[in-house]
Amino acid sequence: MSLLKAKSSRTREKRLDTLNAWQGNVSAAVTEFSDGEPVKRIRTFSQSTQDDLLYALRLLAGIRNSVAVIHASRGCAAAGLFHQVSKGNGRWIVTNLDDRDTIMGADLKLRKAVKEVYLRYKPEVIFIVSSPIVAINNDDIQSVVEELHEELELDIVPIYVTGFASHHAVTGYDTTLHALLKYLAGRRGEHNKNNSVNLLSVAEHPDDLREVERLLSALGLELNILPDGASPAIFRKAAAARLSLSLDQDTGNYLGITLRDEYAVPYAEASRPIGINATGRWLAVAGKASGLNEAVQALHEQESGRVTKALENFSLKGVRVYLGLASATSFSVLGLVEELGGEVIGITVSRLDQLHKERLEELSARYPVLQIHVADGQPFEEANIIKRLSPDLYLGDSAHLGQIGRLGIPVVSLEETPVLGYNGVIALARRFSAALHNRTFGAALARTPLPYKESWFRRSPNWHIKKEVK
Amino acid sequence: MAHHIEGSRNSCALHGALQVIEAIEGVVPVIHSTAGCGVQHFLGVNRLNAGSDRFGGPPVSNSNISEKHVVFGGSSRLREQLKNTVKIVEGDLYVIVTGCSTEMVGDDIPAMTKEGRDQDFQVIYANTPGFRGDVHQGYQLAVKALIEQLPALGKGEQSSVEGLVNIWGIVPHQDPFWAGNLEEIGRLLEGIGLKPNLLFGYDQGLSSWNRVPNAALNIVVSVWGDSPAMLLEERYGTPVLKLEGLPVGSAAGRFLQTVSDRLNLDLTHTENFIKSEEKRLNTYLASLADTYYRAGFQREFAFVGESSQVAGLSEFLTGTLGLIPRTLIITDNPPEYAREALLSRLTGLVEGYSTEVVFSEDHAEIIDQVRSGAAELVLGSALEEQVALALGVPFLQLSFPLSDKVVLSRGYSGYRGAAALLEDLGSAILSN
Repeated sequence: MSLLKAKSSRTREKRLDTLNAWQGNVSAAVTEFSDGEPVKRIRTFSQSTQDDLLYALRLLAGIRNSVAVIHASRGCAAAGLFHQVSKGNGRWIVTNLDDRDTIMGADLKLRKAVKEVYLRYKPEVIFIVSSPIVAINNDDIQSVVEELHEELELDIVPIYVTGFASHHAVTGYDTTLHALLKYLAGRRGEHNKNNSVNLLSVAEHPDDLREVERLLSALGLELNILPDGASPAIFRKAAAARLSLSLDQDTGNYLGITLRDEYAVPYAEASRPIGINATGRWLAVAGKASGLNEAVQALHEQESGRVTKALENFSLKGVRVYLGLASATSFSVLGLVEELGGEVIGITVSRLDQLHKERLEELSARYPVLQIHVADGQPFEEANIIKRLSPDLYLGDSAHLGQIGRLGIPVVSLEETPVLGYNGVIALARRFSAALHNRTFGAALARTPLPYKESWFRRSPNWHIKKEVK
Repeated sequence: MAHHIEGSRNSCALHGALQVIEAIEGVVPVIHSTAGCGVQHFLGVNRLNAGSDRFGGPPVSNSNISEKHVVFGGSSRLREQLKNTVKIVEGDLYVIVTGCSTEMVGDDIPAMTKEGRDQDFQVIYANTPGFRGDVHQGYQLAVKALIEQLPALGKGEQSSVEGLVNIWGIVPHQDPFWAGNLEEIGRLLEGIGLKPNLLFGYDQGLSSWNRVPNAALNIVVSVWGDSPAMLLEERYGTPVLKLEGLPVGSAAGRFLQTVSDRLNLDLTHTENFIKSEEKRLNTYLASLADTYYRAGFQREFAFVGESSQVAGLSEFLTGTLGLIPRTLIITDNPPEYAREALLSRLTGLVEGYSTEVVFSEDHAEIIDQVRSGAAELVLGSALEEQVALALGVPFLQLSFPLSDKVVLSRGYSGYRGAAALLEDLGSAILSN
């Protein structure tokens, strides 16, 4: 049966046994994922975190010639304002559900909004984004989609996010990618194969995309970059491509395997190209899959020589580093820190699941006691851990670096810093070097206390992580 | 029935309540809702106001309810979250605020609050689902909760404070310059011998809020301050003074005169204070004259912002600086009763010139209005930058959301704010 028949993707916890609350060492993590399905944990105290709706909005803001109709109360669109203002793209409207709509439903309002936005902008595609209110009320979005698709002769794509059905925000990427393929890529068997290669990029920095494009075009590959920055037509083209390459297994995996299983596009996945060696390995996987082994080898030698020269004698020797990053990024940055001579003494990852099992096994062989903390946006736990470890440098991509900084340690944000490829190494080394050369800002921040009570730091960091009672 | 909106800048009631709570020292919000509500607020409000982050990240306590709680109710999850928040997060007061999902499910928030109180937690609540309104309603709901529920915690100060005045209606973060605006109003009131109760910002904690009932006067700077002032008038009989907008430049002088009148202050002292402030501003104006003429400051302008800001700043720009108000767009959805007064005031700013005044928060409509107005200067938010660029005219970001500014203490109210406005407006014109 076609994967895309389903209304939506399965949640990450169901599909990949994903955990979002866990703490222990690497070898325990390996055991956790080896003995069948790991036991789910919950938190008895929690802090604000991303949800699937937020990830859907982020992804949709990158689709060209589209408008998102956010079928929600007003605040669910706040992140839309952020993407619009900070990235300059992503047109959106919110249906502004009020008291009455929560009781009576709001199908009419949705219909009206879609029609008006169509008449005003004539986009190539309109997204209808669901929300907690709509999910609780079970409002019928599907018939609006079907009727208006006929009436307006327009692709209308429903994105069934809920804000509560999954503990993992990344489910929102899967939900969105499922819908994009289901409604925009066409039926299997109806495509004529083309010679292009899909580069799966969900949430990369623009400079990172440029870097990877530079490397792949040096190999002469013709690329479809999706979903970020793609026009709706790219999804159809992608279904007929000769290969998909992922830049980030955490975010791109669902798109890759669905293109593979539904449209028979081979899918190649490697660790994120962060650091000289990982970039070489990533390119080797790309080269192997596209029959360009030799060209890749030559390119890697040339580029790694250039990077080594550019780094001069920069080294992280003797520097103890803590990582607080999205999972796949974390594992790859760990490799980069090692390459530069530094030592990773602990990591916080946003989630752990079956996708990470292989990396955990590798790590476990080398550092069985390395501490792993699994949390998305739980700085109270992270601060507790970091206070105990007192690292020399913190690398993170979360929204709570302002709290980590108050611990007085140098912080480098990877949220809006290019990290990929050979140029990523040079850019990162420069940031690391600056952070270690001048630590005054951290010292100044340390004069402002963290928002937590002293007694919390005497508790173990995983005090509030409990096994779920079903 | 509420209409759909393109590119709304007014977020929701929960976010407005968070803005209130985060602006009071020692007060901690406990969000009872789905996980993303706090991050929505952080991305869509804090990050579009660089320099507005008290906790160093998204909200520090959120019950993150899941499907189970939607189906079976989330009260027990809230009980657990509240108990642990009090143990972990430093605070003098904890405020439970709710989102759409927990309100639809019908969790009994007052009962959970009472349970907390029975355990001696300093806790109050406000029902603030996003479907109940925008940030301005959220401001009102949170302020109302504080006014009504704080006395029951028994920490109110009984001794009255001579010359205490509360200031209402400046919505933290929604006015990106809220802290600076409040501080300048406070400085001016101090200048005439009063004790301003700013209630939000640096050094404003529960003790300020416990003093609220003892004030001699409630000053209302925007229409959003009406409801707290009315509530306090009802409860404590405190008189109210409503301003027609943020007082900027000479309007601040008139404001001080009115306050002095109402509170029977020493008028000579007030006059002397105003005189010295006026003198400084006049010196600045004179220093600017060459640049003003050379760079052609006197232009038709479009202004997109909240009612109190548009009214107050436009009054200064037209009443002192000689600018011409082409298109004024009010984005905060003031209630009907306030619109007529605003309309007649704003259309009559420059006699014999017809000013277009529009009430809208719809991005598409706003852009159309600014474009068709074809002003020679655009003042607004980051959302108006493109249209200003297309018109090829100077542009200054001064309303929410901001993308090119860090705001910590800057403000545009009073006399110092008038000088800041001259600097920023002048810089925008010169750099165009």
